[in-house]
Amino acid sequence: MLDILLPILLFSALALAAVGAVRRIRLWRQGRPSPVPVLRGLAAVPRRYLVDLHHVVARDKVMSNTHVATAGGFVAAMGLAIVVHGLGLGSGWVSGVLGWLLLAASATMFAGSLFVARRRRDPPARLSKGPWMRLPKSLMAFSLGIFVVTLPAVGVLPADAGGWLVALVLAAVVTWGLAELVFGMTWGGPMKHAFAGALHLAFHRRPERFSTKKGSGGNRSTGLKALDLEDDQAPLGVETPSDFTWNQLLGFDACVQCGRCEAVCPAFAAGQPLNPKKLIQDMVVGMAGGSDAHYAGSPYPSPERGDQPVGEHHGTPHGPIVAPASTKDGKALVDAETLWSCTTCRACVEECPMMIEHVDAIVDMRRHLTLEEGATPGKGAEVIDNLIVTDNPGGFDPGGRLNWAADLELPLMADVERAEVLLWLGDGVFDMRNQRTLRALVKVLRAAGVDFAVLGNEERDSGDVARRLGDEATFQSLARRNIATLAQYRFDCVVTCDPHSFHVLKNEYGAFYPEGQASDYPVWHHSTFINQLIEAGRLRLAPGQAARVTYHDPCYLGRYNGEYEAPRAVLRALGVELVEMQRSGYRSRCCGGGGGAPVTDIPGKQRIPDMRMGDVRETQAEQVVVGCPQCTAMFEGVVPPAGDEEVAVKDIAEMVAAALDTTPVSTSSTPRDASTAQATEEVMS
Amino acid sequence: MAFDALFQPIEIGKLTIRNRVVSTAHAEVHATDGGMTTDRYVKYYEEKAKGGVGLSICGGSSPVSIDSPQAWWSSVNLATDRIIPHFQNLSGAVHKHGGKIMIQITHMGRRSRWDGHDWPVLLSPSGIREPVHRSTCKTIEEEDIWRIIDDFAQGARRAKEGGLDGVELSAVHQHLIDQFWSPRVNKRTDEWGGSFEGRMRFGMEVLKAVRAEVGDDFVVGMRICGDEFHPDGLTHDDMKDIAAYYDATGQIDFFGVVGSGCDTHDTLANVIPNMSYPPEPFLHLAAGIKEVVSAPVIHAQNIKDPTQANRILEGGYVDMVGMTRAHIADPHLIAKVQMGQTDRIKQCVGANYCIDRQYQGLDVLCIQNAATSREYMGLPHEIEKSTGPQRRVVVVGGGPGGMEAARVAAERGHSVTLFEGAEALGGQITLAAKAPQRDQIAGITRWFQLELTRLKVDIRLGVHADGATIDDLRPDIVVLATGGQPFLTQVPEWGYAEDRDESLVVSAWDILGGDVAPGQNVLVFDTICEFTGVSVADYLADKGAQVEIVTDDTKPGSAVGGTTFPTYYRSLYEKEVIMTSDLALHKVYREGDALVAVLENEYTGVQEERVVDQVVVENGVRPNESLYYALKERSRNHGQLDLEALYAAEPQPSLATLDDDAQAGFLLFRVGDCTAPRNTHAAIYDALRICKDF
Repeated sequence: MLDILLPILLFSALALAAVGAVRRIRLWRQGRPSPVPVLRGLAAVPRRYLVDLHHVVARDKVMSNTHVATAGGFVAAMGLAIVVHGLGLGSGWVSGVLGWLLLAASATMFAGSLFVARRRRDPPARLSKGPWMRLPKSLMAFSLGIFVVTLPAVGVLPADAGGWLVALVLAAVVTWGLAELVFGMTWGGPMKHAFAGALHLAFHRRPERFSTKKGSGGNRSTGLKALDLEDDQAPLGVETPSDFTWNQLLGFDACVQCGRCEAVCPAFAAGQPLNPKKLIQDMVVGMAGGSDAHYAGSPYPSPERGDQPVGEHHGTPHGPIVAPASTKDGKALVDAETLWSCTTCRACVEECPMMIEHVDAIVDMRRHLTLEEGATPGKGAEVIDNLIVTDNPGGFDPGGRLNWAADLELPLMADVERAEVLLWLGDGVFDMRNQRTLRALVKVLRAAGVDFAVLGNEERDSGDVARRLGDEATFQSLARRNIATLAQYRFDCVVTCDPHSFHVLKNEYGAFYPEGQASDYPVWHHSTFINQLIEAGRLRLAPGQAARVTYHDPCYLGRYNGEYEAPRAVLRALGVELVEMQRSGYRSRCCGGGGGAPVTDIPGKQRIPDMRMGDVRETQAEQVVVGCPQCTAMFEGVVPPAGDEEVAVKDIAEMVAAALDTTPVSTSSTPRDASTAQATEEVMS
Repeated sequence: MAFDALFQPIEIGKLTIRNRVVSTAHAEVHATDGGMTTDRYVKYYEEKAKGGVGLSICGGSSPVSIDSPQAWWSSVNLATDRIIPHFQNLSGAVHKHGGKIMIQITHMGRRSRWDGHDWPVLLSPSGIREPVHRSTCKTIEEEDIWRIIDDFAQGARRAKEGGLDGVELSAVHQHLIDQFWSPRVNKRTDEWGGSFEGRMRFGMEVLKAVRAEVGDDFVVGMRICGDEFHPDGLTHDDMKDIAAYYDATGQIDFFGVVGSGCDTHDTLANVIPNMSYPPEPFLHLAAGIKEVVSAPVIHAQNIKDPTQANRILEGGYVDMVGMTRAHIADPHLIAKVQMGQTDRIKQCVGANYCIDRQYQGLDVLCIQNAATSREYMGLPHEIEKSTGPQRRVVVVGGGPGGMEAARVAAERGHSVTLFEGAEALGGQITLAAKAPQRDQIAGITRWFQLELTRLKVDIRLGVHADGATIDDLRPDIVVLATGGQPFLTQVPEWGYAEDRDESLVVSAWDILGGDVAPGQNVLVFDTICEFTGVSVADYLADKGAQVEIVTDDTKPGSAVGGTTFPTYYRSLYEKEVIMTSDLALHKVYREGDALVAVLENEYTGVQEERVVDQVVVENGVRPNESLYYALKERSRNHGQLDLEALYAAEPQPSLATLDDDAQAGFLLFRVGDCTAPRNTHAAIYDALRICKDF
């Protein structure tokens, strides 16, 4: 009986899956067009899956192996089941081999599903529950069902063993497995991730993130995509789910709700109303239409209510994501505070095994709120106004950019026209704390004899904050004017102590060069540049300082640009004792200062910088070394818990400046003795 | 940005100054070797430049001529080329830290002394005597005039060759240039007097000669008065005319404006306003001058905190603010603003210890900062943490000496406990602050309080520590700063008794501390003639008492400094306090409800009596020594100091014995009045120089 039932089941499952796929693809295609190379993309899936995605998944070894067993077992078992049970192909020993292979595949899958079950027994908070809780049973149903129905095929059991009742039970079990694993893949349910995830890998909006056979590994792609302000048809940012590009919607659908993003999100930890996983799920809800009532993970935190209850928010593909001010209950798919809580630290993107681009989505939605609604909260609107009028976020006199350096006689690009290094000062020029960093950096550059010059009053804000606050227009205006200024001068590289300027100049200005021009200079963060100076022997450093320090990786230097090593190399060269925080390197926790978060200032239960200084304190370091004016400002704003010592916050440039060996170079005996010795040897030979 | 106005650079002539804060010219009394700017001088100004001040104008009243004597106030001597290499050291040290430095150059005319050194004949336009210095002079001759004009030019040249950034011509404080300006002093009828142009001529010729010598790329400024405050002197409108007249030449790069003339004791007190004055009392005069000139205007006088300075600059009253005493109190003032540590600024309290020393020809020191002008000795403004073992330090007494000892020891990284018997820190400062118009002196305590809290010193108030309390803490070092008590037992006939109901006299501390209510009709006998006596008289009068203050010295308040006794006198005379000299308190006896004070004339022995209801005696302080003698024999060093090490600001050799386990006990030191009654500065200096090496 099973030999009749099984092909029917298999092929109906496949047919239903095909119907589901069409419906799913239609949902994604509600998004705006985004041309992709279809065949090349599909062809790249195996490599992208096995190399790049696995690189992220493998950070959790147990889960990685579990997934290999379960998914690998399933793909093999499904393929073989179609051959063996669906088509009844193969005869004689071939059929036997195929059968045994199918048994092996389903057994492997079953073993994997035991591990899935184990994880679901006491799942960590970050994992979504709901339908995901039944997945291990479904996996077992499929693998066990297929295993048993295959036993007759290898002759272990007779074909009609157990009679029709057993056959019916087995058919039901297999049906359950097929429902979850085959047409569940396209009709929704946990296995949707396999279908959407594979296609997301094929049609990812940042294909440059993936490695190629030629390249050694995945490239970083962290610059925000430009909004085409000339295109009358293009919406200014994302108002409704259908304003996302179709492959962004596809990306949201790929989410496995593993909650790794939630576990690393600083805003979530601080009790601000953001959970990246929930946000992605809300987009999935919006894409199909409905409410978030079925969401079964951690909700958005709410400073007032502890948690935001689910079921209050709802959306449609073409309805607003954030409720316009006129709506009665003020609720749509997500609240504006959720979007403004993000520090754009990219911790979620870095951790996401499905390569979802949360930050892009958040900034897209912010663009709409800022450009179309003028609804930038907190001091955001004021900062943007300042940027428009004074080219700096604080609204300071733009003619005062060099006030802090009146006694340093910095060479101006306008005077010298060319220099080895263009020192990009950033808006920290207006901040007395950062002025100390800048002075230290100038001291270091001078000690190394670096030929540098500054733009002075010709420099403008890099546009970073405007862009992260969604004001693409102000960003592009600043970028174009800075590019025009830079184009007037000749220099070998740009050096800056501000990772935000660094990122924007390095990764985001490229799109705004006039036709036929391109940025042709490297941009270095000062830690990288100082490390180069040390390696080239251009800095004389006094013997080690006896300090115990920890290093905080700024998001825009680390995750955005992959520079984890140079600052640590510099610290090693200084001879200080470097202790690492538990969260460091690519897992560094944000200071809370990025993405305009300090100006939008969404309340939470605690402050992000307080948490990060807590991380610092755990290391028992006397100093925390940073390389970012934002981080410095955020950390120095932290009041230590009663009874605790204040931990000094130092920029890496200050550390180096303090360690410079200023004793005059000895011209006394040593060199002369050496030359005498050499002369003597010559005589002797 | 906070303090935005303060940190705007400014162009003066062709010079860029990094911020708007100036240490204006004051006489340092630090030049040595015949008026040379040697090590002490250089380090004093280097410290300010390191601390971030934009511009220092050094050498207040530095003479350019041999007959304007430099020796009385150890002024900088610009009358010789010998100064040039010293200036090069000075300018190099300041420029290294991004600061700029100029010098005030002058001829003092009659404003000096003739009775010493070269026995010079002083000069003035009409030979009129100067009251403050009691100096007589000859009428200046035409030959002298041209010689001195050339001396100005040569002095400016020396400043320029020495690498300084500019000179400030002093036409203030009744120096020779403004002696010519003022009709009060200039009675000449020739072309150097009479008409406005005539009175202006000397200054104009000086300016021309200086500018011709130094050219355009060197700053030449002029310091002027905003109003002489004399009925026969120059008024504010006169000064506006004068400023505009010189400004019109286009040769002046800046004006410094000082409110008030200063050739009498009373006007002199205005020039360096002490704590009795409101903030920036003469800003309006500087602002008036700014209205009529195109060159930037600098104004000092009671601008002490950065918020105040920023507000003045934001208001556009002047272009730069002088914070001169503010920098004597804390040369790192600007750096602390930049570090966001405004709470750590040691703010000038206007005690005028600095300027009152200067008027006596003594080196300028700060009442509350013993490191100022002792940088060359290695006394630090920022105390570095010790690299040696952490010690347990016990300080007994929370007056200025004890607070400084605790601060310095805590900065060194030691574990410090501070005992104070009273319920608040401050010691005698707390009493001093009770007098009318003297409340700001409590700023000294306020700063220590903030620092000791920051440094987590264990402060135990209301505890009279004894040997057992100290032993409980097992200290390595004990510093006693137990102060003293009013010395009322010296003359038994005064009738002092410990029981207040029996005692015929009370102390100034009893009154100022509020322990004894002011009487109605009070005799204050003050044999010390410093602050306490006049303070208590002023306090009593302020509470409505009829007060007579009697001294056996030459005048009540005669030992109070030159810029401070006038403000006391203003207050005392206004309240009709009777000031009587040359009478000693011989005896006090009770007659019914009244007290009779028997006074005896110092010179004739004749006695007279006063019938009063309260007799207050100020006879100085007797040290509290009992705790010291209780601990002395048990201490490792028997309480002794190595004086050679102490005076050289070197570590006490006894500190080395702390690591010798064979010896038991602690090191014992005394600071301040509990050794011998001296003053606030002495107590703080004792503490700093002993404790800096712990």
